[in-house]
Amino acid sequence: MASTMRPMSRLLTRASRSALFPIECTAPRTALSSISNTSSALRAANNGILASRSFSTSPLCLRARTMGQMKARHSTGPFSWKAALLFVLTGGGMIIYFRVEKERLERKRVAEMSKGVGKPKVGGPFVLKDLDGKEFTAEDLKGKYAFVYFGFTHCPDICPDELDKMAEIIDKVNEATKGENIFLPVFITCDPVRDTPEVLREYLKEFHPGIIGLTGTYDEVKHVCKQYRVYFSTPRDIKPGEDYLVDHSIYFYLMDPDNDFVECIGRQDTPETATRTIMEHINDWKREGKPLRKD
Amino acid sequence: MGWFSWSSNANTASDGGRIAPDRSSREQCYQGRDMFFSCLDRNDILDAIKDDKEARRKCGKEIAEFETACSRAWVKYFKEKRVMEYNRDKTIERIKKEDAAQVQDLKAQGWNSR
Repeated sequence: MASTMRPMSRLLTRASRSALFPIECTAPRTALSSISNTSSALRAANNGILASRSFSTSPLCLRARTMGQMKARHSTGPFSWKAALLFVLTGGGMIIYFRVEKERLERKRVAEMSKGVGKPKVGGPFVLKDLDGKEFTAEDLKGKYAFVYFGFTHCPDICPDELDKMAEIIDKVNEATKGENIFLPVFITCDPVRDTPEVLREYLKEFHPGIIGLTGTYDEVKHVCKQYRVYFSTPRDIKPGEDYLVDHSIYFYLMDPDNDFVECIGRQDTPETATRTIMEHINDWKREGKPLRKD
Repeated sequence: MGWFSWSSNANTASDGGRIAPDRSSREQCYQGRDMFFSCLDRNDILDAIKDDKEARRKCGKEIAEFETACSRAWVKYFKEKRVMEYNRDKTIERIKKEDAAQVQDLKAQGWNSR
């Protein structure tokens, strides 16, 4: 904040100095009339400076050599086009700066909503297995921004659409982070009975090779769904060969490197808006100098 | 032939899981669905579950293709979704109309939006 404020204050002093020149120069002639000629708004703002300087800085007046120049300055008053331009630029700059800051603080508020005590908690410890049969826990998500999606491979139309979107988001985020490998897309199945590692691998391969598929026992999956507040309706005991669908919540969960929930990406988001939201959070995190795992 | 017949070995992964439809079979299923639904549209049938007999009589060929290309659960899902979406759209339309009428009403009473 300080670094952006400093040049701005320098600009401001420069602007006020140039605006004061014409007033100062007319001072020795008729100090009183010159003051009364200047705009009342500026006089009110710079009252102190004016009163003390108008009598003491007469040498400055030498700059205006002819009556014509003095008159010209007199006629425009303190409002030259330069002053107007500076005023507009500074004002505009301040407005943009405050907007950007406001948005950043708003994101920070959203990001920190799930930290601390007594806050709604999405996510948490879980134990599942990755597609090689290795144990995968919530600890493995830490240090990177995780993008968690719940689904099942026999999903008719919504999940495939969402997974296509996920693939696009992964590519866009990887591009934006220049392949830093700090973004971890995860697919957790809600249908562990049918979605064995091999099935999941074949299924996810079609969308994006970077998606990490996770599965587990019915109870493990039920536990992780509960942690992430995901509703799902997988029947527990299914006869072999039975055909069924699973109702489940369809959100992407963005988790920060502390594995705290940051934001939901839903059906209404396009790959573009989703990537923007994700990159804003990643950049905020970097700006605050917090650690990231890039392996 | 279809992947929906779980009994056949081709649809079972080596680790025992049932293989999910891949991109091309999903595409086939969507095509079958769209053909069937456009036939329903032509014949003014909305609910293919309730009016099953009627649908089968008028769109026999399409429904056969649809049911071959999609699993049973998906067929049911899409049929239900069609009814649900129709009702949803109608509700939205109704609310919009009511809203417009209310705005007209308020304007007539001299109320301004600003």
